[in-house]
Amino acid sequence: MRSTDAPRTRRENKAWSARSIGSRWQHRFFYALIRFAGRRAAYVMVDFIALYYVLFRPSVRVRSLPYLSRRFPGRTALLRLWDGYRITVEIGRVLVDRAAMGILGPGQLTVRYGKREELLERVREGRGLILVTAHAGCWQFAMESLRLLDTPTSLLLHREDGDVDLHIFEHRGDEAAFRIIDPAGPFGGALEMLQVLKHGEVLCIMADRAMGGDRSTVVVEFLGGRVRVPVSPYQLASATGAPVVVIFPYKSGPGNYSLQVAKVLRVQGGLGRTPEAYRPYAEEFIRALEGFVEERPYQFFNFFDMWNLEPMR
Amino acid sequence: MTTVEKVKKILVEDLHLEGLTPGDIDENAPLFGEGLGLDSLDAVELVVIMQKHFGIDIQNMDEAKTAFQSIHALASYIEARLSNG
Repeated sequence: MRSTDAPRTRRENKAWSARSIGSRWQHRFFYALIRFAGRRAAYVMVDFIALYYVLFRPSVRVRSLPYLSRRFPGRTALLRLWDGYRITVEIGRVLVDRAAMGILGPGQLTVRYGKREELLERVREGRGLILVTAHAGCWQFAMESLRLLDTPTSLLLHREDGDVDLHIFEHRGDEAAFRIIDPAGPFGGALEMLQVLKHGEVLCIMADRAMGGDRSTVVVEFLGGRVRVPVSPYQLASATGAPVVVIFPYKSGPGNYSLQVAKVLRVQGGLGRTPEAYRPYAEEFIRALEGFVEERPYQFFNFFDMWNLEPMR
Repeated sequence: MTTVEKVKKILVEDLHLEGLTPGDIDENAPLFGEGLGLDSLDAVELVVIMQKHFGIDIQNMDEAKTAFQSIHALASYIEARLSNG
């Protein structure tokens, strides 16, 4: 898709890892369980494994601690364990659902979004559409549901080398519902994203994790602390006139997922290259994310210390 | 004013390259990373600048990779595109 001789303006300078904590055989075990015993049997297994992780694998438990301790300040040690268990079960079940959708077919799950018409109207403006979201619920279900927009969709996604966790389309062995743009690619993927918008297509960006140097981010308040978030979605919107829609996919019940259209942002044109110019939009996104985690605290899966602001290279 | 000089002036002004004058910029130095030190945010701005000042729409990544090598490469690209109408 791209040559390797182009300038790369972003390196592996990030505080997080997109790699699954499970080993290859553990993933294969779950895939087999889903295939032969079904999704609910895998849920039961997830519940036990989550308990094991929370009680006996502190190195895993601490990954969710920075978020949970801010979302639920002042918890006792016992309640903290409970929070860790709940969020581990939630992500485990989401991963099971994702695999089930790929292995057993889309009939396993229902994905709903109530504001399809609003998204379609934004697409019809003809300036492209930027969807910003976070590591909440299961973004892959959101992307699958975006097929309904009948518009080519691209996703800014960095995949770790050697990650053994399969995407839905990889289980099915077919084409992805979306095109992937790698932020570690030439120009940080910026020009590919620009082209997507110029063609009036849909671009989806996770706006809760920064990748790249400090200059492509701003620091904003989130759950009472300061976090670093990227400004590229808003800069692209400023350059192209594309509307920005904040969405959060979430698990709304057993076998059900929904897409919340939280906010539409209109970014002023010609704001240029200074990250600070985009702070108001990054703050609006973070306020929407705070609203989401207020309602669904166990469906935010950013398992690293977002509040650690050590300078990025 | 040559195209190289014009490009240097536009970049300094539109990208607000603090502490730099057009005369300070080596026209053969890389624009990104080492050299002028531009980053991915600047790549977007470069595309906007090309449209705004020269009416040139960069269509694909291959063109961008060629044009964004250096000031000299960018100026050559602009001249080629303008001469082709």
